[in-house]
Amino acid sequence: MAAHEHTARFDELLPAYALGALDGDELRELEAHIATGCAECQRQIALWQGDLEELATAVEPIAPSAATRERVLRAAEGPPQIGRIRPIRPIGPMRSPRWLAIAATLLLAVALWGIYQQARLSGEAGRLRAERDGLARQVAGLERRLDQTQADNRRLAKTLSLITAPGAHAIQLAGLGPAQGAVGHAFINPKTGEAVIYAFDLPAPAAGTTYELWWIAAGRPPVPAGTFGVDEHGAARVEVDRVADAAEPKTWAVTIEPAGGRPQPSGPIILKG
Amino acid sequence: MDPRPSHEIDLMRRIGAGEGEALAEIFDLHSPLVLGLLFRILGRRSEAEEILQEVFLQVWTQAGRYDPDRASPRGWILMLARSRALDRIRRRDSSRRREEEVAGDPLLAAVHPVGTARLEAVERKSRVHSALDGLTPEQRRCIELAFFEGLTHSQIAERLQAPLGTVKSRILLGMNKLRQALSS
Repeated sequence: MAAHEHTARFDELLPAYALGALDGDELRELEAHIATGCAECQRQIALWQGDLEELATAVEPIAPSAATRERVLRAAEGPPQIGRIRPIRPIGPMRSPRWLAIAATLLLAVALWGIYQQARLSGEAGRLRAERDGLARQVAGLERRLDQTQADNRRLAKTLSLITAPGAHAIQLAGLGPAQGAVGHAFINPKTGEAVIYAFDLPAPAAGTTYELWWIAAGRPPVPAGTFGVDEHGAARVEVDRVADAAEPKTWAVTIEPAGGRPQPSGPIILKG
Repeated sequence: MDPRPSHEIDLMRRIGAGEGEALAEIFDLHSPLVLGLLFRILGRRSEAEEILQEVFLQVWTQAGRYDPDRASPRGWILMLARSRALDRIRRRDSSRRREEEVAGDPLLAAVHPVGTARLEAVERKSRVHSALDGLTPEQRRCIELAFFEGLTHSQIAERLQAPLGTVKSRILLGMNKLRQALSS
């Protein structure tokens, strides 16, 4: 098999490569293949990196200290210090005998001509390779954005059909205690029992804790409906597959619980409605 | 359509031109998520804040190298952060990791997107969590060890006392499942 030929074997190595998990002979083999300028590998690496970016967004955001922010912004008061190119020191006058100087000049001229020709050709090849790789990356980036947009649209359509279902009702949730100012909306389809809850302006839960959603029917213990964190803007969305007796009035509440959640609420209520 | 990426790309251009206000805006937008990722990798709040500072200084000095065709500004910054954090943990004794607990600092005022942009951001996070929930615990563990701790196939096999081939197939199947769930 020629090193430049893209095969299914490379397709299998690329996810681990993008993840940084590939090692040993497999890493050397794939790197040698990528070095041939394989456009398909470039395309796939960009796609996998897009997925990994999404994976990174699954962490709980933490607000940085004011001191860190201040240090960053203070350091940025001057212009960006991009790496500077060191000036080339001029070559001093030659002190060799005249004939030696002529011979050296001729040799240098021949060598420079050879180097110039080689550089011109390899520069052209490099430019074409870079252009091809750039196009492959653009296509991969667009494919990834299209996939994400389509997935987001499907989920929005699902939410919209739940909200607009006949008999669907909405409940407003208000923030309490440390989440004063937070708001929430619960939308319930009484026929299917499906529900979706949006929360906004919640602080990020402290390390080792999570938010847990509950629905409570009159005279019964609270039923856990899922744990969740918030995004960098303090917002969250929780889908509930089925709420029992969905047509009956319910109270919805969010509490702070240890990571992983609890079968019964143990922490303070921070959102209720 | 989310109006933020094009606005953020413009912010990156302005940072490259030396506008400190643009750096402040991108810092306020993404530093909580970046710090969350750094803390997840490093397990120490003070170290995470230190690397956070380095990351945004790198954004300041290298915004001109940012290529919008390759990643969103958020993705570029997150991958810079991951790479720096993994370099840091490779340099230190892994047995001393995760000693410190996070101190609950007050939240900075966040810049909130509005309307559908906000809804889409919530949808996206929820989608990632659903995708992760679709993996087997073993697949998820292997991917997390590689992504958050920078371990290779062989190192994961050693850590989990599992055959190398099993680890490779868990990662391959898990990554493909993630891809499928993220785009479904």
